[in-house]
Amino acid sequence: MRRYFLRKILHSLSIIFGVALIIFTLFHVIGGDPVYEILGKYANAERAQDLRNEYGLNKPLWTQFILYLKQIVTFDYGRSYATRQSISEILSNGIGPSLSLTLPAFVITTVLAVSISLFSAFFRGKLTDRLILLLSVLGMSVPVLAYILFGQYFLAYKLGLFPISGYAHSLGERISYLVLPVLIWIVINLGYDVRYFRVFISKELNQDYVRTARAKGLSEVSVFTKHILRNSLVPILTNVVIQIPFLILGSLLIENFFSIPGLGSVIVDAINSRDFPVIKAMTTLVSMLFIIGHLITDLLYAVVDPRIKIQ
Amino acid sequence: MSILEVKNLSTSFFTDEGEVKAVDDVSFAVEKGETLGIVGESGCGKSVACLSVLRLIPSPPGKILSGEILYSGKDLLKFNSKEMQKVRGNEISMVFQDPMTSLNPVFTIGEQIGESIALHQKLSKKEVRARTIEMLDLVGIASSEKRIADYPHQLSGGMRQRVMIAMALSCNPAVLIADEPTTALDVTVQAQILELLKELQKKVGLAIILITHDLGVVAEVADNVVVMYAGRVVEEAPVKEIFTNPQHPYTRGLLNSIPKFTPGVSPRGEKKRLEAIPGIVPNLSDLPPGCRFHDRCSFLVEKCRNSEPALRACKGDTKHKFRCLRDL
Amino acid sequence: MKDIVYDYRTINYLVRDKWAVLSGVVIIAYVILGLISNFKFADYALTATVSNSYLPPSFDSIELIFGTDLFGRSVLLKTLCGAYTAIKVGLIAVFISIPIGVVLGLVAGYFGGLVDDVVVWFYSTIASIPNIILLIAFTYVLGRGISSVYIALGLTTWIGLARLVRAEVMREKETEYVLGARALGARSSRIIFRHVLPNLRHLVTVTFSVQFIHAVKAEVILSFLGLGAYGTPSWGVMINDSKQELVRGIWWQLAAASGAMFLLVLAFNVFSDSFEHVWDPKVK
Repeated sequence: MRRYFLRKILHSLSIIFGVALIIFTLFHVIGGDPVYEILGKYANAERAQDLRNEYGLNKPLWTQFILYLKQIVTFDYGRSYATRQSISEILSNGIGPSLSLTLPAFVITTVLAVSISLFSAFFRGKLTDRLILLLSVLGMSVPVLAYILFGQYFLAYKLGLFPISGYAHSLGERISYLVLPVLIWIVINLGYDVRYFRVFISKELNQDYVRTARAKGLSEVSVFTKHILRNSLVPILTNVVIQIPFLILGSLLIENFFSIPGLGSVIVDAINSRDFPVIKAMTTLVSMLFIIGHLITDLLYAVVDPRIKIQ
Repeated sequence: MSILEVKNLSTSFFTDEGEVKAVDDVSFAVEKGETLGIVGESGCGKSVACLSVLRLIPSPPGKILSGEILYSGKDLLKFNSKEMQKVRGNEISMVFQDPMTSLNPVFTIGEQIGESIALHQKLSKKEVRARTIEMLDLVGIASSEKRIADYPHQLSGGMRQRVMIAMALSCNPAVLIADEPTTALDVTVQAQILELLKELQKKVGLAIILITHDLGVVAEVADNVVVMYAGRVVEEAPVKEIFTNPQHPYTRGLLNSIPKFTPGVSPRGEKKRLEAIPGIVPNLSDLPPGCRFHDRCSFLVEKCRNSEPALRACKGDTKHKFRCLRDL
Repeated sequence: MKDIVYDYRTINYLVRDKWAVLSGVVIIAYVILGLISNFKFADYALTATVSNSYLPPSFDSIELIFGTDLFGRSVLLKTLCGAYTAIKVGLIAVFISIPIGVVLGLVAGYFGGLVDDVVVWFYSTIASIPNIILLIAFTYVLGRGISSVYIALGLTTWIGLARLVRAEVMREKETEYVLGARALGARSSRIIFRHVLPNLRHLVTVTFSVQFIHAVKAEVILSFLGLGAYGTPSWGVMINDSKQELVRGIWWQLAAASGAMFLLVLAFNVFSDSFEHVWDPKVK
């Protein structure tokens, strides 16, 4: 077990290095000189040079890469071009709102998806199952933007059920602002999840151990909720846990539309204002989180699937 | 009265290619303390027949069309699902061919056996655990107290099958159906498992239905034998009769095809070849008219092509029945 | 190999499946309409003022069926040309990513060892960067315009296919070694590929659908964010424009673009479902 852990950790470290390399190449090598992006094409040459010095862009690539690695380890990504705020501050301010949106949405979506797929599998072939499949496929095909725009338009604007946009820091008020965004997130993602989970569960339905469970006299419901669910959890969990690191990102589009000051908005604003360090920092941060999240999944695997423990 | 009697059972599967008559008007019975061997090649319907007894046939494609399944005189086909659940694992248990895939890989063997026990008997957790260990001991698994926390993949094939048997017998069923329990195991383990079954039968008075394609196994353990072919019973008799006086050409073919250690010598002085039954099993969704075996039969006469014979008793022995026009 | 691209049975099955046929027809309709629109109306759609601005849909003339936008341009024409853009993006992205995926998968699976390690490391790193962020980063860095979108998509979406292909090849390799590879000697490569190739066809087709949809959706989002289509009609740009329109009760541009995209994505989803079903009937 220890060797398994060690192997996974080392692997993750090498990936982190690789990601840093790719992001660095993308932004510093292919990207060209960002300074004129900020100051405009006809900027003062002196201003440009000052800016370069400040961001260390005048140093050789090699040095810049080391500096970048240092940034990753210390979580200090310097300052935003656009707002001059310390990026770490921007990031820490943004995490809260993003998670307020994504965490509840994610939990609800996952629980709903597992329940619905199990339910659907139980009634396999019948009308219920087909209806659920139909709805999932339809749901998956509607463009995300349509959901957001129509949702905002009908439920908030026309029917006035929810505030159109906005955010509050106090917990109580926050909830009223978050209901619609969370709802929209759920609608967007439910179709995908149900489709995938349904397939995983289908694969278990024909397994021999299911036949054995029935032969022991278990009711169909128990067969599903105990045996099939437990076995389906392995692929389902993989799918689910992979989504967790991304939750920090919030939702680029939803936050933008609902004026939620989370990390998604940060990125969209950064794109609009060509804020190079922020985009770079966000890309790096989320990738690192993803790798770590993936590592945790692999380690958790050993707990959920006893076959791996022995390896 | 037999503890389990199957009468005129017909089970078909409705597929895109038509109706597959997997089991067609099949009857057999097993007595307390006795072993019935059901023999036949793959696809002859032996497994489907037994799955039908426990009503485990997957219902979209499959359907039990007609017949009676009398357990202690009560017709199981008339039971509702709750009543069937009480029968399965409790009165009639089944053990399957591949213990690796038949056991749930993510639960310990203790949990799986315990599940059976807890399902049918009102016992405390401690009592369930004690009974589980008792069962593991009964089937000959050493260090049962430690083993109870093992997962299926940690056990060898033979041990897994023992676990399956322990699980099946944990609630003292009256009938055990074993579907090719030793096919996936090597020969020495096979012998042990069969020994175990015989012992348990003696101890508890268990009725066993043993499904197999291996005549050697049948000779070892069965008291009575039913031979199936293409969904039909083609011969039934006490075990000795089957081996000493096989009446149906198919049974004869099966017996002849058993390799012998000392091969005979042909008239030309060469060693005799292994005998096989020529031809292949018919397509169950497109059965030929007449006897289902006629296109492979070396005793074929014209009438065999047109009419399917009924089961008839052997001269002088009503317990021995076979389905052939000819008297061999 | 006497099979053509697909074996008789697959095509036979697909033709009998009414959903597969329906979705196939829809897709072809889109392609044809898109091509025609592009070659007839491309510039026209974005420059010509058909009527007054913000005219709601009406049957006065064909061009006004979906109404007009802020500049009086025909929403119908924009939608049709947007179809061309979407399909173009989908096809080019897929034609870049599928070859890369297949080649790298084959190479990694067949050679194993260091080569495999490098390829796996490579795609693991790319996969670790959230897709949308990577696309944004790429398009940001490559500059505006639709060609950045193709390249970005092509270079980032090959990973799934590479993984699948690699797994297939490795699986076949195992069997060969079990059968005594030494005896087979130099022929083992041919045998491995002969087993892998048929599965490859299926993998590629399913992946094609999935990635096509992904590309279309991504283009819409990128264009919406201002990183994609620029100067070419695009559903994403239309949706972006419609952001402010909705409050003023102007819904037709959003409806047209979303509706058009919905239908195309749905058609692909249904088609790839049917296709998967042919291949693996256990998936029900």
